[in-house]
Amino acid sequence: MELIRVQFKVNGEQVDLSVKPHETLLETLRNRLELTGTKEGCGLGSCGACTVLLDGMPVRSCLVLTAEVNGREITTIEGIKQGDKLHPLQEAFVNHGAVQCGFCTPGMLLTAKALLDRNPKPTRSDIIRAISSNICRCTGYKKIIEAIEAVAQKEER
Amino acid sequence: MKLPKFFYFRPKTIEEALATFTAYDGNAVYLAGGTDLIPRMKLGLKKPIAVIDLKDIEELKKVRVEDGKIVIGPLVTLFELSKTPMIKEKFPALFEALILTSCETLQMRGTIGGNILQDTRCLFYNQSEFWRKAKGPCVKTGGERCHVTGAKECHSNYMSDTAPALLSLEASLKLIGIEGEREIPLREIFTGNGVSPLSLRPGEILCQISIPNEVTKGGYEKLRLRGSIDYPLLGIALSGSSEKVKIAIGGIGPGPKVWEGKLEEILSSMQKLSQEIKAIANTILDPLYRKEMIPVLSQRLAKRVFGS
Repeated sequence: MELIRVQFKVNGEQVDLSVKPHETLLETLRNRLELTGTKEGCGLGSCGACTVLLDGMPVRSCLVLTAEVNGREITTIEGIKQGDKLHPLQEAFVNHGAVQCGFCTPGMLLTAKALLDRNPKPTRSDIIRAISSNICRCTGYKKIIEAIEAVAQKEER
Repeated sequence: MKLPKFFYFRPKTIEEALATFTAYDGNAVYLAGGTDLIPRMKLGLKKPIAVIDLKDIEELKKVRVEDGKIVIGPLVTLFELSKTPMIKEKFPALFEALILTSCETLQMRGTIGGNILQDTRCLFYNQSEFWRKAKGPCVKTGGERCHVTGAKECHSNYMSDTAPALLSLEASLKLIGIEGEREIPLREIFTGNGVSPLSLRPGEILCQISIPNEVTKGGYEKLRLRGSIDYPLLGIALSGSSEKVKIAIGGIGPGPKVWEGKLEEILSSMQKLSQEIKAIANTILDPLYRKEMIPVLSQRLAKRVFGS
């Protein structure tokens, strides 16, 4: 099987790899780049645990071929902190108890970040609509929604 | 979950895509958003030698108005389309179907063309290869009998939300394949046979979806267990006026059904019309319940759209 050369950015750093055509972005991130913050849940696009940002839009990395992201920019959970500080959403998740087992958290945070980036003042129903893309089996969503709302209500982020 | 091996191509033109398809003697699939195809490949339901990614073909990504029609490029994502103002203003049935499809993240990846050309689904078909081997093949996977009915017929369900809406809006499709180009009404793409539910000719690529450019009344109702993500276990689209309405039923059986006429007449004969639809125990909801919900959701939809 012929390898495909792909060049793309991950969390601001340029990556140059030769990948198998059937390699998913999730496999590349976790196995080659050791960015294991991105989780594999169902592997079939249902759960949202593997969500990363592709040019700022949330995608399920288990459904994206690495060959497809040539020239694009990927953000994973490892790339959202601001210097030494957590991203405000990460802070809010901690403060609101929006994390229990933590498996859905990276995907949930990236879906929330993408929402706030395109719509800085979302309504509660906008938030629910966005995070309904991600399944959490512990918290019951209420605390997650409250954490995102708290960040959206802050004037500056 | 691992994907099977394949070669990957990313053509820039339709001609190039068709040439690649021909070069692989038809053992190739077209990739758009991948939200239907990639899971099916992971489950071993599809094992192409070549995957032809259409995302670099610019002409397939536009929405434009042309000769009294709105022409939608099949690679426009469901999310982009739902954010296109004229869709919301003119075609409420399509708009509602778009925002009720799956979840927001998948709408951002899934395309309108891929949504129309998705394969049918069944509890006994959309399973891993390991699971299916243990059970033995069904009609859709080359076996002799359907696991549910025991007959040599496939009743897998066509679960697009947008197709019933587009049927109610009299959409047509333009397809380009190895044998040439054709334009057909959307309803003609459905064979009614669950084994091969779409009447696509070799290598055909969906190039345009056209809808008459008229403001319509309408709506879409969907039955699913989880409001956040599921495929429709029944989907009902309605467009038109109470004097002349089109109601399309999806989610049950291998292709949508369309009923046309006066709203009152359709609603009053719904029990009888529903007999054309066969629901079997191949989803997580009871088939009788799904069928009984056809008149219920239709009434609800008609009331919401026409206020009576």
